[in-house]
Amino acid sequence: MTLCSDEEMTELLAAMQSDAPDELALAERLIDAYPEDARLHFLRGSLLAGNGRPIEAHAALSRAVALAPEFALARFQLGFFELTSGEAARALATWEPLDSLAGDHYLAHFVTGLRHLIADRFVEAIAALQAGIAVNDENPPLNRDMQLIIDECAGLTSAAPAAPADEASATSFLLEQFGKGTTH
Amino acid sequence: MKRPGLDLLLIPPRVEASLWRRFRFERETRCREQIFTRYRGLARSIAVRQLNGRPRNGIEQGDMEQFAYEGLLHAIDRFDPLKGVPFGAFARRRIIGSIADGAARMTEIDAQYGYRRRVENERARSIGIDAAAADPLRALAELATSLAIGLMLEGTNLVEPANGADHRPNAYESLAWRELQALIAREIGRLPDREAVIVRQHYENGIGFTHIAQLLGLSKGRVSQLHASALAKLRARVGNKR
Repeated sequence: MTLCSDEEMTELLAAMQSDAPDELALAERLIDAYPEDARLHFLRGSLLAGNGRPIEAHAALSRAVALAPEFALARFQLGFFELTSGEAARALATWEPLDSLAGDHYLAHFVTGLRHLIADRFVEAIAALQAGIAVNDENPPLNRDMQLIIDECAGLTSAAPAAPADEASATSFLLEQFGKGTTH
Repeated sequence: MKRPGLDLLLIPPRVEASLWRRFRFERETRCREQIFTRYRGLARSIAVRQLNGRPRNGIEQGDMEQFAYEGLLHAIDRFDPLKGVPFGAFARRRIIGSIADGAARMTEIDAQYGYRRRVENERARSIGIDAAAADPLRALAELATSLAIGLMLEGTNLVEPANGADHRPNAYESLAWRELQALIAREIGRLPDREAVIVRQHYENGIGFTHIAQLLGLSKGRVSQLHASALAKLRARVGNKR
């Protein structure tokens, strides 16, 4: 398996950072040359996700994870993509191998936080996401994404209304009638 | 079911893309029904506008809606989600075309024998009486109960009416009504998946058996059988609990 050289990778990352118009074409050229390089598929997946091409983005991220099952960041992003697509069960399955990460790895904290979040345990979710941000200094953009989630979560916990009952029981329905001061 | 934690994470274009991906590339056929349900409102609103914009020649809204649903189903099967065109725009043209074709196809007799009666006939045939039953009276009673459950499902608006109006007659009747309604809603949830889909699409959404068959990739006869089986289960369960 030949991997893309450091120079080529640096060139691609620089194109992505400067939002060069040909960044996607460059990624695809490199993939043609190094089809087995999981990093390239991962970067192409991120570009496609940002370009409003979610079906192809998912395929590219999945390819990255299939090529390199230990590539933790790609696996995290694939699961996160699935979660934001409404596929919670699939995201949890994708993340399962990340349980082998050290407990204080930032991705481990983020996964824990997001697992809490989809179970509606907001306080625990916020704590875990904050713990992840505190130890993550290698991937600042991910910290921003997680901070956005924390902010929205905080909004939910402070203004959470009591959950309305799905269907009124006969008793509560009658009480409701009396409560309104009706005479019948 | 509300899931505020998950809802907070959802990115709507991704959610829609995920349905298309699973339907097209992962052969998850139930996504077809979810896509249909997502765009049913669009099809219906186009049907209403088209009905208002045409001369009244006996075509009912129910007919127009069925043509619209047919167009929607065709659009779902022909759409290429990788082309970057939004599905709503793609479907709109096909829905309008399907309504125009359908309305032109309808003869005067068809129009008189409108959607309503066709639906009633379909239902009656689906749960039809077994002429060779050992106890014909009992078979007749079962048929009547099934028809009644069908009418009730349709009347209860298990989904909220759009205007949110409360049509319940008075506190006492509405109490009994609500309890029965809740019971039936619960029991629909306990039906096998496909039967629940058929009951919901048919009674809540007014989709005819032909289109439900297309939606689920089944024959119309099979949909009719499953409908009968679903109503029989509802009848038995509701009967036992009251």
